[in-house]
Amino acid sequence: MIRFSDVSVTYRGGVRALRNVDLRIDDGEFVVIVGLSGAGKSTLLRALNGLVPATSGSITIDGTEVVGAQSAELRAIRSRIGMIFQTFNLVNRTSVLNNVLMGRLASVPAWRSTIGLWPATDTEIAMQALERVGIVEKAYVRAADLSGGQQQRVGIARALAQEPSVMLADEPVAALDPVTSRQVMGDLRRINRELGITTLVNLHFLDLAREFGRRLVGLRDGEVVFDGDIADVTDETFRDIYGRAITDDDLLAVDDEPTG
Amino acid sequence: MATGPTTGTDGRPAAPTGTARRRLAMGALLVLAVGWSITGLEVTVDRLLGAPGDAWDIFRRMFPPAFAEAAERGVVGKVFESVHIAWIGTLIGALASLPLAFLAAGNVAPAWVRVPVRQLFNVIRAVPELILAMILIPITGLGPWAGALAIGVHSIGTLGKWATEAIEGIDEGPLEAVAATGGRWASSMRWGVLPQILPVVTSQWLFRFEINVRASAVLGMIGAGGVGSELVSQLVFRNFPAVGAVLLMTIVVVLAIDTVSAAVRRRIIRGAGRAPGDVVGGDRNAAVLVDLTGIGR
Amino acid sequence: MNGPTVAARPTRPRPGARTWVIVGVLITYTVFAGRQVGFDISTFWNVWSNPLWEKFWPVPWDWVLDWHNVLDPLLETFQIAVVATLVGCGLALPLAFIMSPLTSPNRPTMIVSRSVMNVVRAVPDLFWAKLLVTAVGIGAFAGSWALSVFSLAVMVKLFSETVDGADPRPLEAARATGGRHLPVIRTGVLPTVLPEYVAYGLYVFELNIRASVVLGLVGAGGIGRVIEAQRQYFRFDRVLGILLLVFVVVIVIEQVSVAVRKRLV
Repeated sequence: MIRFSDVSVTYRGGVRALRNVDLRIDDGEFVVIVGLSGAGKSTLLRALNGLVPATSGSITIDGTEVVGAQSAELRAIRSRIGMIFQTFNLVNRTSVLNNVLMGRLASVPAWRSTIGLWPATDTEIAMQALERVGIVEKAYVRAADLSGGQQQRVGIARALAQEPSVMLADEPVAALDPVTSRQVMGDLRRINRELGITTLVNLHFLDLAREFGRRLVGLRDGEVVFDGDIADVTDETFRDIYGRAITDDDLLAVDDEPTG
Repeated sequence: MATGPTTGTDGRPAAPTGTARRRLAMGALLVLAVGWSITGLEVTVDRLLGAPGDAWDIFRRMFPPAFAEAAERGVVGKVFESVHIAWIGTLIGALASLPLAFLAAGNVAPAWVRVPVRQLFNVIRAVPELILAMILIPITGLGPWAGALAIGVHSIGTLGKWATEAIEGIDEGPLEAVAATGGRWASSMRWGVLPQILPVVTSQWLFRFEINVRASAVLGMIGAGGVGSELVSQLVFRNFPAVGAVLLMTIVVVLAIDTVSAAVRRRIIRGAGRAPGDVVGGDRNAAVLVDLTGIGR
Repeated sequence: MNGPTVAARPTRPRPGARTWVIVGVLITYTVFAGRQVGFDISTFWNVWSNPLWEKFWPVPWDWVLDWHNVLDPLLETFQIAVVATLVGCGLALPLAFIMSPLTSPNRPTMIVSRSVMNVVRAVPDLFWAKLLVTAVGIGAFAGSWALSVFSLAVMVKLFSETVDGADPRPLEAARATGGRHLPVIRTGVLPTVLPEYVAYGLYVFELNIRASVVLGLVGAGGIGRVIEAQRQYFRFDRVLGILLLVFVVVIVIEQVSVAVRKRLV
């Protein structure tokens, strides 16, 4: 279970990215987080795995405190949290498999990972992760030679290889076309259902949020302004969260498209 | 600093005067510096006029170059010895500078480590190889090892600086990804930074090798191995055809290495440039080239 | 991509034979070169305990800071650098234009000039210095000539890349007016490349300061001559003092140069 208790994050320079955030997320939930750019979505995710240090408050994952955790502790926490990024953040010049193996970095001895001598068990885990996202045949292809959707899948596989209990996705489909976006979101939802991994997804596109989310959290100026079931969400809700009327830019596809 | 154009009496903007005056001042300063320098150098007109003639005279006397004589005395071997010296020296410099560069880069190393390492690079770069070799010879003795070591140590400075710049120019996304998986700093370097910089850094090493071949030839002049000693001894005896032979052989080898190395470097950069969104940077290479021809001595 | 069948796992590709050959050649050559050079690993720890280090300390500052001994030759070094930079860079300007395909008057000239410059660059700079010293005699005069050649080579290399990469459109426009070659270059290219020219010029000046130190070692004047003399008397303490002084001067000049360059760009 993840719990945010009165969490605030203030960046150097005075920007208050999160203000007194309280959230409780149970195991296995699929949470979609929406809000304008700068509302604090990225900060929320990164505070959870410590990439951004919280200024005050407490964040616990299954009882372990994240705020203030230091090096080895922090790394241990992070190894149980998988993260995927808007820009994929793959190592372009190396193979897909090597990228996925990076998910095993926390559990493999340093010398082995440095020279690339991964143990067989870890390679097996990586391969299975690739199979789960359906691109195992590309295992030895250079990461940069894949399409955007495939690269994001590699990112997902990398996170899966960590055998995480939590999955964080920071605008995972913002750089993808509508069809691919639906596929990737579908993958995330499937993984959440099949493996029971708690999933938090930042989304920019409100129609995607409605389609794939089960629980919606709305952020505005660093504060949680909505937290509830996706069924209870209306256009009015989004207007509150955004503080303005919804425009076409907030929607992924204006026309109706078949879901993947 | 310059305000908008002021209007003259006829309504047209007046030409800005600030820049013109500054240019004039700089120009005057320049002329003064030159004049003072020239007078300080005992340049007399007849020396000035005579010099090209003297130089040409010597140049003429180098032909035909005494190849046979040179081959007999093993000049070819000496030229290759310069290449070996440059190779080993560059290798030493490359292997030592890369780990240090990780400690010197602003985006991966904390300030308390970064600053001393960068200063170390600067200090090393400031000492010409020739001086380094002079210091080393009493310790290692005369011969190519002193030369290789001098080149190696000096290269640490230049290669370190270039590698640091390469590291600072990377896309930091993969670094974040490694951190997010719970990897240590060293893993971030190995997987996040190294793959991105390896093509540029390898190309820098090759470039340095090209310069170092010249440097090692020069080091021979003080006895640190290589062809320089041949040049000096032949000049002392004023055996100009032999000097010509030495020069020519050096030129040929240097040009050959330059050409091969440039081709390899181009392939490396081109191969690396395949991936979209890579920061390989033609402009960065230009900046690197600026250093190349200079401090690399 | 949620098909019922999972694709077969690919096998791990092995590095090709060519890669192994290249690696093998490199390693073999390295070992060979190491033997030829007399690679001696013990130097790395022996060097610290060598008694010779004592000769470097203490530095006789009174001798080092004396005008005749050091400061005057240092001034001479500075003057050599100034002259060499001006001559070298001055000649490099037209030469770079001749060498560049964009601005060259005709193709044969371009090819010839490029080849000549390649050869000139292939000769190590100190070789030039030694040759010139033999030709015109020891002293700062030879030094300035040698350094001018070096400056020319460096500047041409740097600057011709700028010219090659210059925006061709103003040049095209200038040509279209039907002007003669020189005015066309003057108006079509020169303004574009001038800032970089000056920046490189300053950079070459920095290099020359360092270089003229070394030049003196072969008798071409300046502080290098003093260093070499002291070295031959084994007065390493004085050598160290001179080097430290030179180091400080070089840093100062570098900072000034960087500041000036920043104001130009």
